[in-house]
Amino acid sequence: MNETLSSLSTFHLTGHWPGRDLAAIEQMGLRPALFSAYRDVEGLRHDFPLVLVNGEDKETVFRSLSDLIDDILQEIAPLGIEGEQIRKHVLGLEKEIRTLVYRGNKGTLLQLWEIAKTNRLSRTDDAGREPLDDNLNRAQAALGVDGELIGCDGEAPIKVLTHTWASFQENKARRFAREIEELTVKLSNILKADTMKSEKALGAEALKQSVGSVYEDAFDFEAMSDILGSAFVNGAVPEKRRRRIRAALAALQSQRFFETDGEETKKSRRKGVHGFVFDRPSRALEAFKERLPEMVKLVKAMTIAQLEIEGRYNEKTHDPFFRRFDERFLEPNDLGRFPSYLICLRNGVGAKTEKAMLPEVLSSGLPMKILVQHDDILEEPSIASGRVSPGIPGSQLATMAVSLNNAYVLQSSGSALYQMRDSILGGFKNGQPALFSIFSGLAGASPGPARNTTETPAYLRAAAAHESRAFPAFVFDPDRGDDWASRFSVADNPQAGTEWPVHSFCYEDEDLQKISEDLAFTFVDFAAADGRYGGNFADVPRSEWQDAMVPVDTFLKLDASAAAEKVPYILMIDENNTLHKAIVDVRLVDAAHRCRKMWRNLQELGGIDNSHARKLLAREKEIWEQEKAQELDALRSRPVSAPATPAPGQPAPVPEEAVADEAVSATVEPAPAETEQEGMPPAVSSDEPYIETPRCTTCDECTQINNRMFAYDDNKQAYIADQGAGTYRQLVEAAESCQVAIIHPGKPKNPEEPDLDELVARAEAFE
Amino acid sequence: MDKPLTECALKLLDEEYTLDDYKGLVPRWCTGCGDNAILAAVQRLCRDEQLPPEKTVFVSGIGCSSRFPHYMHTYGFHGLHGRAMPVAEGIKMRRPDLNVFVITGDGDCCSIGTAHWIHAIRYNMNITVLMHDNGIYGLTKNQASPTSPLGITSRTTPGGTYLEPINPVSVSLGIRNVSFVAQAVDWIPEMLHDIIAEAFHHKGFSFVRILQRCPEFLDHRFDDWVQEPDWMLLLHHENGVRISPDLAKIYRNQEQHDPSDRNRAREIASTNHPMPVGVLYRDPGMPCYEDLRKPDRLYTPDIVKAAIEEEFDKFTIHPTGHPTG
Repeated sequence: MNETLSSLSTFHLTGHWPGRDLAAIEQMGLRPALFSAYRDVEGLRHDFPLVLVNGEDKETVFRSLSDLIDDILQEIAPLGIEGEQIRKHVLGLEKEIRTLVYRGNKGTLLQLWEIAKTNRLSRTDDAGREPLDDNLNRAQAALGVDGELIGCDGEAPIKVLTHTWASFQENKARRFAREIEELTVKLSNILKADTMKSEKALGAEALKQSVGSVYEDAFDFEAMSDILGSAFVNGAVPEKRRRRIRAALAALQSQRFFETDGEETKKSRRKGVHGFVFDRPSRALEAFKERLPEMVKLVKAMTIAQLEIEGRYNEKTHDPFFRRFDERFLEPNDLGRFPSYLICLRNGVGAKTEKAMLPEVLSSGLPMKILVQHDDILEEPSIASGRVSPGIPGSQLATMAVSLNNAYVLQSSGSALYQMRDSILGGFKNGQPALFSIFSGLAGASPGPARNTTETPAYLRAAAAHESRAFPAFVFDPDRGDDWASRFSVADNPQAGTEWPVHSFCYEDEDLQKISEDLAFTFVDFAAADGRYGGNFADVPRSEWQDAMVPVDTFLKLDASAAAEKVPYILMIDENNTLHKAIVDVRLVDAAHRCRKMWRNLQELGGIDNSHARKLLAREKEIWEQEKAQELDALRSRPVSAPATPAPGQPAPVPEEAVADEAVSATVEPAPAETEQEGMPPAVSSDEPYIETPRCTTCDECTQINNRMFAYDDNKQAYIADQGAGTYRQLVEAAESCQVAIIHPGKPKNPEEPDLDELVARAEAFE
Repeated sequence: MDKPLTECALKLLDEEYTLDDYKGLVPRWCTGCGDNAILAAVQRLCRDEQLPPEKTVFVSGIGCSSRFPHYMHTYGFHGLHGRAMPVAEGIKMRRPDLNVFVITGDGDCCSIGTAHWIHAIRYNMNITVLMHDNGIYGLTKNQASPTSPLGITSRTTPGGTYLEPINPVSVSLGIRNVSFVAQAVDWIPEMLHDIIAEAFHHKGFSFVRILQRCPEFLDHRFDDWVQEPDWMLLLHHENGVRISPDLAKIYRNQEQHDPSDRNRAREIASTNHPMPVGVLYRDPGMPCYEDLRKPDRLYTPDIVKAAIEEEFDKFTIHPTGHPTG
């Protein structure tokens, strides 16, 4: 081993380069090579900013600005060269809006649109101003949506999730309010109808008032009252029922779970409606428990109301049921109609005890939607002791929740929020508990002196965590099916089938020749973008590059003995876009190992390269090969003169006489079904009469002849109920009159019956 | 487990309807009439589905078949000739929670009621229509109907009919919003029941033409098909009706027909040699008129009262003095 290589190895193993004072890589401005294209995230067209869409449309709770702009251009810009100007103008505006958002401007899409438009117009010369203004106005008219615009910063996950929750809540509230209103109106109608029929309402005085004073002389209200009074024969609503209806009405009108804006409820001023956003799971649980009796009361009232409206409340059965009624009777469907609870936990904000409550909440089956936002997945107290534990506890929280088997679990990076929109919405669709574990990409709350991570924007950091498998995306939906294949998916990860995503990377060498190579983006690259880990890397000057230096992803695949002779490195670039190779110390490599293992676990759960399947396949393959080998041997051992074997799937040739015989029998023999008359009779001998009951058309012919002998069954189809109740003649006549000819008279029972010979002859047609 | 509480509470009532719960008056149809088979099939369906009689309504027009509502112990409306569909549409519009059936005949539907029939298909409201087609006016004693076969003599056509009959199934399949079309025959009760059940379960306007024997005025019209199973073509599909093994032994002539294939449905419908029986066409995605026109607000008594007052105000005569005597 040469001297340099030994120094490299020493660094790799100990983190010290003997006799050299290393410059920290972040001070040299080194970044992972694959970041070279992302120096200016602001200038790149990507998913962010997102528009948190106002309004009812459930499909588009939030949208990406670039998607919106694409749709508008599709609609208003003609294809080809004519559309070029408007495309240029609108895309320019999009860029301007993105810059505004990234520079910290806040507001709705329309507000920022106006600012961006003013900016663009002010930078345009007089000639260009009018077409620009025109085009932007046309685009604005086609916009159709508005809502808060957010960039990918530390607030994005919370904002997106809260907005999604609120929009689901709004829909739910609308439906619920409508239901309550409907029940209230219909219940009130019962009481109203009762009042209208009461003696008081039909009294002369009340009738007089309802006609008014102008024509009162034209009527005899006493007579009218007498006539109307005798017209209603149905009694009044019993007092007990009236009380029950009033109680249900009162419970419906005093509910505090949703705002209702119906006319009925507006009249009565109600106490404050419950809030459903919490920052601690314990508080949410407490609130839920506190409100449970109220909820039970409301569900009970709604059920009673429904039964009363349908007129199906049966006091004998329902009274004891509703007397016993408590929270044990609540069904998931009933819970699902109520608001879900949103709990937002942020790194460091929720105390450890609060986090410890998560399993309890998530396994409870209550409608709790929990967002855990991780701002720094590498932030670990154990760093000081020389160990990094990537993704711990961040990504472990979600995998742990998966094992509870009861909660919807989604893990994602802040950068992938838009990509995972459907899955995010999926978590809110029903009343089950859900955990959204999201890495915001924010570097951490308190920047220390050694940190210089602010250079990497949150979007890029989040995307790097996603890309490097440090914080992989996955979705687990327990309601989706019974097996892993339908419940669990890792499909939202870049190149989910591979260990690390591999990208093609181009650069030019000293001779200005283009070189292209494939680079894997590993966990080590993710750590390299974080200034706090600068000490785990050492930039190796070009003159000292060695053959023993291998890329990290290759190094991770080596066994221990091969690895001992190699030193892992990653490619990095400095601010002048010059390539560097930085070797990595063993602690980060160790962490990368663990990260890879965790990713492999997720891959296997997601059905990618599953080891059980692989083993099974290998076994089956072996068995198949053995069988085929035996078949081949058997074939080889046969004498060559044997007649040619038919190809698989072809019938063996049949001697000619056999074919002829078959043809004859086919023409001579009638089809078996015709002779047997469809398998109805076999159990009965042909001497007994019977009816092919399932074919009976209920036409009354036989029952008209003798309704004691022939009767209808539960399906209103005829059968022979009592043969002794009639004569053989009646049986034969019934058979003859049956239009679908399904009555079979059999043989006569009574030999004394007159004209038997003739009847037996007539019956033959129905055997 | 996942049922809402109301359903559980209703289950407590432990009501179970039997066939007898759906029997109304004793049918006064002629002995041997195919209407009886249809009535039996419908009563079986009601029992199997446990349809609450008070939530079920049969609407009919005029004709032998239209006596049907009297024989059901449910709500019913024996209406005007040819006008069953608009009445049923009105019921469905205001009471979408009811199970609405229309019973009509070949004269009622394809002659005087044709305009309503065509537009009812277009509206595609969630109604099950059973069109009893015996090819003759029976109630008024033997006059030719639009589906009478060419050449038959009747009181109105003593020299025989001159025109080919209308094909109600082909006509239905030709209308833009059609969503369910089936054909059944009264003499295969098992298929008849299954087809009516399919029609009932389809959300939308389900039109079932039921060929039905009239022993009194068109006695032998269907003899060939009744007596010769090979003259029938039974359609089956996993999205349509399945044929039981016993039935399959009698009726060998079968075809697997996908009810989403409208073109093939039209081809099959165009002939009665063999006579197709089964679900010809189904499009579950067709929107229903009652859903499209669902009011977005609740009609509270106050709103209804205001609307009625507004209407009355249009006819108000303001008296100038007090009324006299």
